[in-house]
Amino acid sequence: MTGPNAIDPVSLEVMRNAFVETTEEMTAALRRSAYSTNIKTRCDFSCAIFDSKCNVIAQSFSQANHLGSLVKMIPLAVEQYAGDKLPAGSAIVTNDPFQGGVHLNDIAVIAPVYFQDTLWGYVANLAHHVDVGGGAPASVGAFQEVYQEGVIIPPVLIMENNAICEDVFRLILSQIRSKRETAGDFRAQIAANQTGIRRLTGLLDRYGQEFVNFYSDELQEYSDRMTQKAMKRLPFGDYRAEGVVDSDGFTDEPVKLVSRVVINEQGVLFDFTGCDLQRAAPVNSTHSMTYAAAAYVLRCIIEEDVPINAGFYRSVRMIAPENTVINCLSPAPVVGGWETHVRLVDVVFRALAQAIPDKVPAGTKAMICHAGFGGINPRTGEYYCFLETLGGGYGGRATIDGPDAVQAHGQNTENAPIEETESNYPIRITRYELVEDSEGAGCQRGGLGVRRDYQFIDHHASFTVLADRDRWGPWGLFGGSPGKKASYLLNPDGESRFLGSKTTVALTPGDVVSYRTCGGGGYGPPENRHPDKVLNDVLEGKISLSRARDVYRVAIDPDSSEINHEQTEHYRGHAES
Amino acid sequence: MNYRLGVDTGGTFTDATLINQTTGDIHVSKVPSTPSDPSRGFLNAVSRILDNSAIPAEEVAFLVHGTTVATNAIIEGNMAPVAFITTHGFRDMLEIARQIRPSLYDLQFQNPPALVPRQYCYGVMERLDDRGNIITPLDESDVEQLALKLSETPIESIAICFLHAYVNDVHERKAEKIFKKYLPNVFISRSSGVAPEFREYIRATTTVINAGVRPVVAGYLQQIENQLDNQGLKSELLLMQSSGGVYPFEAAKDKPVFMVESGPAAGVMAARYLGNRMSCDNLISFDMGGTTAKAGMIENGKVRVSKEYEVGKQASSSEHGSKGQGYPIRTPVIDLVEIGAGGGSIAWVDTGGGLRVGPQSAGAEPGPVSYASGGQEPTITDANLILGRIDAAYFLGGELRLDVEAAQRAIGTRCSEPLGMDLIETAYGILEIANAAMAGALRRVSVHRGYDPRDFALVAFGGAGPLHANRVASELGIKTIIIPVSPGTFSATGLLVTDLRHDYTQTLLESLGELQISQVVEVFESLKQDGQKALTREQVQTNAMDFEYAMDMRYLGQSFDLSIPFVHQELVSDDMKEIMSERFHSAHLQEYGFHAVDEPIMVVQAKLTAVGRLAKPSISQSQLEAQGDHRGTQTREVFFGESGGFVECPIYHRSRLETNSTLPGPAVIQELGSTTLIHPGSHFHLDDYANILITQGS
Repeated sequence: MTGPNAIDPVSLEVMRNAFVETTEEMTAALRRSAYSTNIKTRCDFSCAIFDSKCNVIAQSFSQANHLGSLVKMIPLAVEQYAGDKLPAGSAIVTNDPFQGGVHLNDIAVIAPVYFQDTLWGYVANLAHHVDVGGGAPASVGAFQEVYQEGVIIPPVLIMENNAICEDVFRLILSQIRSKRETAGDFRAQIAANQTGIRRLTGLLDRYGQEFVNFYSDELQEYSDRMTQKAMKRLPFGDYRAEGVVDSDGFTDEPVKLVSRVVINEQGVLFDFTGCDLQRAAPVNSTHSMTYAAAAYVLRCIIEEDVPINAGFYRSVRMIAPENTVINCLSPAPVVGGWETHVRLVDVVFRALAQAIPDKVPAGTKAMICHAGFGGINPRTGEYYCFLETLGGGYGGRATIDGPDAVQAHGQNTENAPIEETESNYPIRITRYELVEDSEGAGCQRGGLGVRRDYQFIDHHASFTVLADRDRWGPWGLFGGSPGKKASYLLNPDGESRFLGSKTTVALTPGDVVSYRTCGGGGYGPPENRHPDKVLNDVLEGKISLSRARDVYRVAIDPDSSEINHEQTEHYRGHAES
Repeated sequence: MNYRLGVDTGGTFTDATLINQTTGDIHVSKVPSTPSDPSRGFLNAVSRILDNSAIPAEEVAFLVHGTTVATNAIIEGNMAPVAFITTHGFRDMLEIARQIRPSLYDLQFQNPPALVPRQYCYGVMERLDDRGNIITPLDESDVEQLALKLSETPIESIAICFLHAYVNDVHERKAEKIFKKYLPNVFISRSSGVAPEFREYIRATTTVINAGVRPVVAGYLQQIENQLDNQGLKSELLLMQSSGGVYPFEAAKDKPVFMVESGPAAGVMAARYLGNRMSCDNLISFDMGGTTAKAGMIENGKVRVSKEYEVGKQASSSEHGSKGQGYPIRTPVIDLVEIGAGGGSIAWVDTGGGLRVGPQSAGAEPGPVSYASGGQEPTITDANLILGRIDAAYFLGGELRLDVEAAQRAIGTRCSEPLGMDLIETAYGILEIANAAMAGALRRVSVHRGYDPRDFALVAFGGAGPLHANRVASELGIKTIIIPVSPGTFSATGLLVTDLRHDYTQTLLESLGELQISQVVEVFESLKQDGQKALTREQVQTNAMDFEYAMDMRYLGQSFDLSIPFVHQELVSDDMKEIMSERFHSAHLQEYGFHAVDEPIMVVQAKLTAVGRLAKPSISQSQLEAQGDHRGTQTREVFFGESGGFVECPIYHRSRLETNSTLPGPAVIQELGSTTLIHPGSHFHLDDYANILITQGS
């Protein structure tokens, strides 16, 4: 075999898989031993390994938005805490939004990896904790300063000599409502890192440090090469689009987002100059969150199976002016920063629709759409907290429809099974279904939104909606219509009232909160949609007969369920004239 | 009535094995599979082996079948039309699925279509809470209306899945009764019967898949039964389940979802049996065929069984593919790691200048370039050929002559040139990449589960397994490799060495602290009665019945259970709770590297496996006089990376090897349907069972 001075494509492929496998082993360990539904079932976490210079070598692929942010968070945390003097058997913990972090719920645990008494690198994972204290259960809500949002943890030691630092652990836990769950989740995060360390040490034993390091560097070069090549295939130009986050939770003024994408010889530059100044409201994205948006879009549009590592990130270039909603400064509240982040991704794709119209979707759900609640569990007397996020319609694409009821962009968390939720929390889910006629009409239609109703039977609870899209639905592209907007309702079957998209309400026994998320935007004019597809949607009950007629201009006989072609042509002929 | 017959239907071939129960005399045969109507291939295989061996059909006492008929119906979308009945408000359960996308960065992603079209999904008024209390009674007239409506549709099968039916099946049973009354010819599957565990989506998909494949499987099995009957074969007819146990055709017609992974299970069972006979209890099975490689674990003589998997997704080259590409199923299934690396896997160069292997496969059609039947893309088989590891003149016993030059051209132009590498170096690289991926699969099935592969022996089979086993084993530090007799048809042997098996579960969802010993005793007693009844129906004598007990447990608040086995005495002893708690903590430590002794434990469910022991045939060496020709020893140039090039390598024919004389590697051992490669530094000998044993290192 070739020695470690010339690149051997075989060893490269072998090491690439070994690194990715390591992060996947970490993922398995974290997921299977975690306590909160948000982590164990919804997979709201990510794992990565770094070399001694804090260059990321490999990452696991559960949540794309964590991936871009982890690479910003870990180097800063390590540098700030210890330089390179983090001893073996130790680990640091942090969630500081203004030190490379994101929102407070996302807590990173970082451990050094030693081989033969020298520092080789780091393993890290980031997990969304269901509660980190602050003004409302599940630590989501509309506040005006970050200090109201929960416990801020600067990089501090959480482990020393292979044991948990009890003082720090107790200090953190005492800020948190669901202590038992959180403690279990922390233990799972630590176990994941230990799994990573074991595997990496095994790899170093087997191949030797020189060899492993050579190929971890080379893998970064390989990703860099692939990314550079792929960017050259994109159409050069200067593309621009705008969009908004519908509301900030305190004022009616929409939050303006501006995205310019410059593609030229140097690669791809994302310029977010022109976005609104930061708000004293929960819609501020940190630098890391915005970076994650840029990284995610770049990864999507290069359409290559590039290993995600520091070599890839070299090509992620962005301009994000400080003191704005896309690069906020302390003490801006950040809990809804992901709402802004994910909308920004949609805006970037809107800009790119001019460059690569057949590659990008119309407007998608593009909100995180949190449902967070908690209270005293009447069965146990313990404080419980619950958090989940809901899917919605995806945007239509050039040749295919947007799927119904899915997560969008950097977010890919699963739904919480109803039976699991009802077994662990004092809550009843009374409906979970598609919202008919909510799709953005189009030649390729957008996906349908979902409805989910939460009923509180026997106790007082605090419920927070932290979402968006209740003023405007996702845009259509090239003649497609926007998807239906979302709504959040209290007691839909009684004296119902609309809840704002960023609201905390006190519930009394019997209350129901009903979410109806938005549909995705359509792609191309609806009257160009193939009548058979319209018929199929009608047969499935996803769209109504009248909508088929009025919007898609397809005549369907209600008795025979067949298309009346003559009538359809007549309708569509009218549409064209 | 002295013979048992195994028939294993694979994607390319249908293998049959016939064993004399008294003498251990064994016959094997291979015929092409007939995917359009698999019963033809099945019957061809049966006729062929009976003709060849001149054994009359009446002599067959029982027949065990491994089949992919259920899997294929799912993958190819040929399931019967199903109506899905659930609780009001939740009819979109299958449409919404898990709300995830199968790939993170693909803007053109598509989710697999919902298992049941939305117009055939219905919600009916009823509701239970999580303890099984009735919140809203079942509206029976609602169900009757629905039954009438369905009678005017093409629906052939019904799946009922109500929320929380795993704790209380009262509403599902009532609904089932009504549908039966109104729709006597429609198959009905209810979730409380098929997969009574919590988490509605996966219980629903399991029930729906059961419903969808039922008419297909029932029709297929009926056809086989009739034809066998015509041929005078009146043996007991059994099917291999995903769990590695067998059940009668009748049971399979009710719960076909239990045999979706029937095919791959047989190989692991064969490996377990072999280990048992060799008194080797810790084995990793390694089955490499034309399109995939599968790794399984046998620990202390037991096969590791897990309870969830996803069906209908594509194999990836390294199993890094993400969730949501297929449909989840929850039934006992042999814990296998399957990756897209087989003899037909294609080697290619990506845009970053990386050499990649798989997951695309040239399959049987057009096959590797060297088959000269239209294949253009170089494969693992082509690389093996170039390196002298396969004999171009003795492939499939000489039936197919391989084209070495075509293989060289393909690897040269498609891989070597773009990479600027030497041809031989490239071919070797292709194998190294494939070997590393397979070592990864073995690692996932062992290390990821908390086992050290060095404590295990490797059993390698399938057409390509023996060619790669030595190298893959060295990657993991495995010292002993076993190549069984007829590795190409070894899986079919697995069909003949298993036991009758029925799995039962009962949800408890109780904290260990509050669990009543009497409750546990009662639950297991009732499960045991179910098992006894089933086995008695299958004419198993009481002294051949075994019952295995297990409890699924987790820390309060976790969602993934650990299944902890117990012996019956432990469960009725006064110390039951202490034993359970201790056993769980230590299992958690082994599995995840930590435990939390102060945390409360939840007992999720009681599980009972009823086993009807079947007599095992004995296979001895004298009966294994080889098929094929008896060519003498010769040599060939074979490439080995550790030797830095081609070396003169002795070629043996397996049938000419002598028992118990140890020979050094490098060596190539040829037999019909497979080639075994021994690397320099390893040794090998034939054991008393005619297995090739390869030993690594000194």
